[in-house]
Amino acid sequence: MRGSFWVQRFAQLLITVFCVTFGCSLLVQLLPVSPAEILLPVGSPEERELLTKEIGLDRGPIGYYLKWLGEFVQGDFGDIYYSGGTESVSSRLAVAFPRSIWLMIYTQVLSLAVAIPLGVWSAYRVGKRADKAISNTLFTLSSIPNFAIALILVLILGVRLQWLPTLDYQPYSAGIWEHFKHMIMPVVSLSVGLIAAYTRLLRADMIAALREDYILMAASKGLTDRRILWRHAFRPSSVTLFTSAALNMGALIGGAIVIETIFATYGVGFEVFAAISGRQYIALQSIVGLISIFYVVFNLIVDILAGYVDPRTRDRRVNA
Amino acid sequence: MRKRKYTIPTYFAFAWLGLAVFLAIFGSFLPVDGYQVIHGDFIDSPPLTPGHWFGVDSNGYDIFSGIINGARLSVFIAIVSVGLGGAIGALLGITAAYYRGRYDSFINSTFNVVLSVPNLVLALALVAVLATNVDINEAVPTWRRLVTLIISLTVVIIPILGRIARAATLAWSGREFVVAARSMGMRDRDIIKRHIVPNVLPALIAVGFLAVGVVIIAEASLSLLGVGIPDGASWGGMLARGRNDLEYNPHALYIPIIALAFTVISTNHVGDVLRGGLDRREGRL
Repeated sequence: MRGSFWVQRFAQLLITVFCVTFGCSLLVQLLPVSPAEILLPVGSPEERELLTKEIGLDRGPIGYYLKWLGEFVQGDFGDIYYSGGTESVSSRLAVAFPRSIWLMIYTQVLSLAVAIPLGVWSAYRVGKRADKAISNTLFTLSSIPNFAIALILVLILGVRLQWLPTLDYQPYSAGIWEHFKHMIMPVVSLSVGLIAAYTRLLRADMIAALREDYILMAASKGLTDRRILWRHAFRPSSVTLFTSAALNMGALIGGAIVIETIFATYGVGFEVFAAISGRQYIALQSIVGLISIFYVVFNLIVDILAGYVDPRTRDRRVNA
Repeated sequence: MRKRKYTIPTYFAFAWLGLAVFLAIFGSFLPVDGYQVIHGDFIDSPPLTPGHWFGVDSNGYDIFSGIINGARLSVFIAIVSVGLGGAIGALLGITAAYYRGRYDSFINSTFNVVLSVPNLVLALALVAVLATNVDINEAVPTWRRLVTLIISLTVVIIPILGRIARAATLAWSGREFVVAARSMGMRDRDIIKRHIVPNVLPALIAVGFLAVGVVIIAEASLSLLGVGIPDGASWGGMLARGRNDLEYNPHALYIPIIALAFTVISTNHVGDVLRGGLDRREGRL
């Protein structure tokens, strides 16, 4: 029973990745112009012919996809074509991925670090003034698009006060403070919406959990509120929260396009944008494929972890 | 009939949305200059300048006109994409949940696959492919960009609303009155029309308001990335233009941001209130 569940789950993962990448490759086929013409705007017909063969476009939709898939599995993500030559997508991603991963990690850590206490506190004080203030403030903040927050931060912290650099990324090797200085604004602007979403989820689940009989039981045993909140109510309530956090991981790597463009962080999201605006469809196909792999893998990990956090969910997951 | 009681913020939200829709429909008939009229004498003037209450940007464009004109595009795009996406999503979701079986699993997994690609990536990719010209040097005309944008945003909305419709239908199609209607020999089409749709619609409308917010943000994001409607015609386009000049003309940036944020706050709030009303209704059953 348990074994077949994981097999099913893994099959689902593969099918999703297959559909996304095959959809991408169909998009390439649907272009009104031959990709070779786009990639080599000044090439001779012979050169284009050669390129069409090289990418596998002469083999029909399925043949093209299979060729791409074979190379993708071996870690060859194709090339980006410039007027002067080519650059491999994997070398670009080797630069972009760490940036996006850091951005994602900091954003998640900050969002969860703020949202968990807020969510627990407002569930504890549900209906009271503190709860209403927290809920309303977060609701308003979450409705402001993240690029708007980013632009306001740039305006105030970057341009007016000149406290933080508005562009670029610095690796750890340039100094920890330099690294963080460049990350603060992108991370904060990505976090605001997540904080609101996480707090809301946790608050709702906590309120439901606090109504359970075992909480009454714990309270009647004379346990402190703090212990009840964190040990008895928070743990089972955190499952939805962490599920949603994991879903966001995929979206943050690759989905932070606007923020990465505004702050010139140049992570994976920017590579997606660059591939699209530079008409690098093969690169696009590979990068979107990778992003979807991340998305489903994080999903799977969370399903596994959820089983450990709340054993009750182990048997209930049927068609997640 | 239960009396509805709204709070003051809800009235504000309705009023703002009403205003936005009003501007979207009648904005071009108002006695306001076109948004691309250049006011040479007022370049860079700050907000509250007489005659240019929202200020003028460094191109000499009046920001008030820009906001009114932008409302037309932003709101129009949002309403059309959510309307279309909602209709198609509802059709797919409701039929999938009603007929179940293979058709249902196909529709549901398609929704899942589409949802596994981040919103903006999907919209960007679609815009890029659909707006590709045969001749690279030839600019894509504005109307085609508009159509492309609407199609792409519709595709983004379909699985979001489709899943809601599917889930709601699943909950309702097991109810006694549906079973009764079926056992009395009512045709599936009529059951869906008479019994399912009226019950699913409120949930769909509530989420539809949230979806309008999503689309307005997505459109603005695409404009910021330079693939939206050109020339700063929408609110997102105004942002994109104001962004280049934020040191000297911050109002060219924050006024469109305020318009955008108010609209999204309002749609989210209304969606939330409607959804809250639904929960109460469900709770009474």
